[in-house]
Amino acid sequence: MSGYEKPLPVVQSWSQEFWQAARQHILLIQKCNECGVNIFYPRRNCPDCWSHNLGWSKASGKGSVFSYSVTMAGVEERFAQDLPYVLALVDLAEGVRLMTNIVDCKPEDVFIGMDVEVAFRDVTDEFSLPMFRPCRKE
Amino acid sequence: MEKPKLAIIGVGEVPTGRYPQRSSWDIIYDVSLQAVASAGIDKNDIEGVITVAPQAQPRLTSEISFGKIPEELGLRGCKDVCICNAGGASTTNCLRLAEQWINSGIARIVLIPHVTVQSTMNLQEVISFFGTAGMDLQWEYPFGTTYNAIMGMVMQRYMHETGTSTEELASVVVALRKWAALDPNSMFYKKPLSLEDVLSSKMVSAPLHSRECNVLADGGGAMIVTSAEIASTITDSPAYKLGHGARYVGACSVLRKDFLVREGWREAASDALDQAGLTKDDIDIFEFYGAYPVNQCVMLEAVGVCEVGKAGKFIMEGHTSPGGKVPCATIGDAVGRGHTGSGVSMANYIECARQLMGLAGERQVPGCNYVLATAAGGSGMNATVTIWGRKIA
Repeated sequence: MSGYEKPLPVVQSWSQEFWQAARQHILLIQKCNECGVNIFYPRRNCPDCWSHNLGWSKASGKGSVFSYSVTMAGVEERFAQDLPYVLALVDLAEGVRLMTNIVDCKPEDVFIGMDVEVAFRDVTDEFSLPMFRPCRKE
Repeated sequence: MEKPKLAIIGVGEVPTGRYPQRSSWDIIYDVSLQAVASAGIDKNDIEGVITVAPQAQPRLTSEISFGKIPEELGLRGCKDVCICNAGGASTTNCLRLAEQWINSGIARIVLIPHVTVQSTMNLQEVISFFGTAGMDLQWEYPFGTTYNAIMGMVMQRYMHETGTSTEELASVVVALRKWAALDPNSMFYKKPLSLEDVLSSKMVSAPLHSRECNVLADGGGAMIVTSAEIASTITDSPAYKLGHGARYVGACSVLRKDFLVREGWREAASDALDQAGLTKDDIDIFEFYGAYPVNQCVMLEAVGVCEVGKAGKFIMEGHTSPGGKVPCATIGDAVGRGHTGSGVSMANYIECARQLMGLAGERQVPGCNYVLATAAGGSGMNATVTIWGRKIA
């Protein structure tokens, strides 16, 4: 797993837990213990009520594609080996949206509204990135 | 409406393109000298310099931040300098700050310059810069963001929601390049494109074709601004700032509830028109700086010229092109002008002034009294709308 040259997430102290869980292939969503809102991306204080009392809940890992594009050119050399790749916005069942890649399918098979589930990719010893793959609706 | 507090009285510009032999300081001299000459003032009348940050050039940004321009140009009357960085909305902020300086008595006349030289950067450097600028290094960049990939997602969503066709979106580029073909300051002067040219160009970030993406260019521009009162004593044709509105949308595209920014543009335009005491029907030109073609559609819908989902057809029918009933983006937006870093909004404001001063050459829209101009920063973090007028409404 050494030799990964693509950019790794620049982690903040309050997002460490997200990435530690991701390494265990668990998708966490930050939650405000005061006002109950689900938060993405993780913050130090709740973006709604500014409470510092924040926790985590395990996400279902299921969601659907809000939008996507299929990149075929115009990338840094270190991304060139991945071409074509699907950059996507996925709406999780928990009501938050994240940016990700859609994997394990042909780019031309991706569509808006497609049901997807998290598929972690172990990219280094420290990082697993939450990517998504097609799944059947439960 | 309130009395206008700011007017553009002079402009200067160099053609966009790749000119590695033309240094940043050459451009700063050229655009500043032109702007001063076109305003009919003396260089020493300039009391403030507020510059657009050339954000891809950190060394130049540093030199300008720490006061090099007035010294280099010998602006003996200069009282202070500042640099503004809000990406594509930098020029908007230069204008806001100039307005404050002018109305608080710090400076009566302000020079607002911009320069970008990208041709001397290597391609990988430029790609990395645009892959990270305005992107989140934790939640976006590791997945391979580029501006094209983000705008491909915006375009995909727009097409999904509105049923707009690939051909209609490609026609936006055709319309923009028709304007650019009439613009001697564009790298695409006399180089229009056909629908087929756009549709047959390679896919970069599908559904975005390469002809729908911006070509990076060197460029620069400058404006001389002053108060409305002083403007009327210096020139017969100032371009008055009549109204302004803005909405913050969000840094990370994943958090934008208003993903296409249509509501942001609608609200900002509504505030700006109200302040100017005008309605959309009074506007002679919509100088939309959308950076990518899909945004021309979103903006036409946001200001109420087209119903949601009808803008692509409207543009394809030629209504926004030269000679059309609703001229839009008369320098051809970034697609038609070449992308000069944070400079497209500068070029856009300069074009507003030219059209209102009657200096727009073959692009001149006859009887142009009021222009609406848009600008945004980053991958769409905000929506700013400014109304400019030849006369006070």
